[in-house]
Amino acid sequence: MTQRSGFVDDFGMDTITLSGSLPAKLLAMRDAGFTQVMLKASDLVGHPEGVDDAVRVVKASGLRVTGFQVLRDFEGLSGHLHDYKVDIAKSMLEMARAVSAPLLLACSSTSTHATQDIDALARDLRKLAMLAVPLGIRIAYEGLSWGRTINEFTTAWEVVSRADAPNLGLGIDSFHIFAANTPLTELDALDPDKIFLAQLADFMWHEVRSFEERIATARHFRVFPGEGVHSAQVAELVQRLVALGYRGDFSFEVFNDDYQQIPLAAVAERARRSALWLGEEVLRRSVPLPNAMRLRKAGAAAASESAT
Amino acid sequence: MPQTTDREAIADVANPLGLDGIEFVEYATSRPQALGQVLEMMGFKPVARHRSREVLLYRQGSMNVVINAHAGGRASSVAPNETPVIAAVALRVRDAAAAYRHALERGAWSVPTQVEVMELNIPAIHGVGASRLYFVDRYQEFSIYDVDFVPIPTVERAPPALAGLHWFGLVQYIGNDRMEDWTEFYRELFGFDALPDEQRFGILPKGRILRSPCQKFYLQLIEPEPGIVDVDGDESFSRVGLGAPDVAAAVRALRARGVEFVESSDLHSGSRGALTKSRLGGVMFELVHSERSVP
Repeated sequence: MTQRSGFVDDFGMDTITLSGSLPAKLLAMRDAGFTQVMLKASDLVGHPEGVDDAVRVVKASGLRVTGFQVLRDFEGLSGHLHDYKVDIAKSMLEMARAVSAPLLLACSSTSTHATQDIDALARDLRKLAMLAVPLGIRIAYEGLSWGRTINEFTTAWEVVSRADAPNLGLGIDSFHIFAANTPLTELDALDPDKIFLAQLADFMWHEVRSFEERIATARHFRVFPGEGVHSAQVAELVQRLVALGYRGDFSFEVFNDDYQQIPLAAVAERARRSALWLGEEVLRRSVPLPNAMRLRKAGAAAASESAT
Repeated sequence: MPQTTDREAIADVANPLGLDGIEFVEYATSRPQALGQVLEMMGFKPVARHRSREVLLYRQGSMNVVINAHAGGRASSVAPNETPVIAAVALRVRDAAAAYRHALERGAWSVPTQVEVMELNIPAIHGVGASRLYFVDRYQEFSIYDVDFVPIPTVERAPPALAGLHWFGLVQYIGNDRMEDWTEFYRELFGFDALPDEQRFGILPKGRILRSPCQKFYLQLIEPEPGIVDVDGDESFSRVGLGAPDVAAAVRALRARGVEFVESSDLHSGSRGALTKSRLGGVMFELVHSERSVP
């Protein structure tokens, strides 16, 4: 591994971008200079030596786990469908816990079996958050741009606010914002402490109007930030989040069929170029942010001291 | 303490499970005799043993402590080791089945119980770390211990409490930035309320105190010291708190039995409370001034 220059520690890769085995993906990310990885459940489940060995491989990689994805279609169901999804959620949470993932990503429901009652959606997400408390996991709720009821971060925020659980927050995904044409100024209405994750991707088309077009684009034609036609918007999104006070992770969620068939090192290198552009040119980072070691906040300390 | 009435709907809202104090606290250890000695110094008496497992019941006054040395059937991660840990807390509730359902509906994890023939199936949910929270509703007309335990011959079955000791609460260690998560967990599932920061008990006032909806016991949540990198984020019940109407008298009575207390410039026995020295690698008891009369 050669010595790298440039500060990219705010950014990480999703394993979904790379093909190949879990160890090969982690190695490619590390060699490209990344320090964190967003895992997906099938990384563990599909590992030939089993889940326990996959956990060992992740821990041995030295990469920090950004989060774990993805729980789909959880909220709004009732009866046996709800019970079934709770079981699935519990399995996902247990795997997230095993790899020390601090958060589980949950995508807004696309199911026609789910209610569209916002309060019912909030109640289910609150339950999911409570399920996650003993495991020490936070839930990042993301509005898919083809979600049936919730398909923008603005409405996702409404549900998160109504659910009002300390370990439930928003997952922001640039793709869905651009696909749904949600104005970036809406970000200013968010509480930065309740944004738990920012996923970044760009894409090549200017418009994706129908849900079908959004799904196809999202699953096959995403590219790294700076590689598509929404670069200025990605840069604006990142700058707005940071200006708002967001200090969480950025991860590249790039589903791309071409990247699935070129060498891992080549894809990771593209990711690195993207991270360098965002880190050095957009955010102009040169040193780590203070408190990046995740020490306990000074404010909380002062409050408990004063009680003595 | 005045009994909260359960005749009005408003009481149901504040105490959705009909919580009514602690039925027992369970320690897990591979050295039950050693922990038994410590408990006896604290005034507990062995009163019964489990019919099918290596489990002992200790008691004084209204307090029951179960020592579980039973290794079979447990996941390896929670098999008892030498250092005793608080493995479970049994909560008295109005209706155990209803309480269990209520908790599951709001996001509790059920614990599959392993019951032998003719034993009680006590519903349980996962608590902090590897611990469990049991729901027990038969504590008035009938004792759960009559079913699963055999009395130890010749011992008094209801030994009186030493110096009026009674359950005061439990201390739970939590990870960094986890105060709100655990506060919400106990509020949502059980109806606990956070006390204002200026309201504190005993001599160890850190963290946040949650009051049970029955107002019969407290949970104290304590985060790591400021500035400490919390590497593993381990969370667990740390110790039990025992209420004493006269702490000084309780300290004297316990010292006479050989119990040692922490006495340093920062932390020492006083009228508000006291802390026993750690035994067996981490077992401590905190005494807290509490006027509650014990039946």
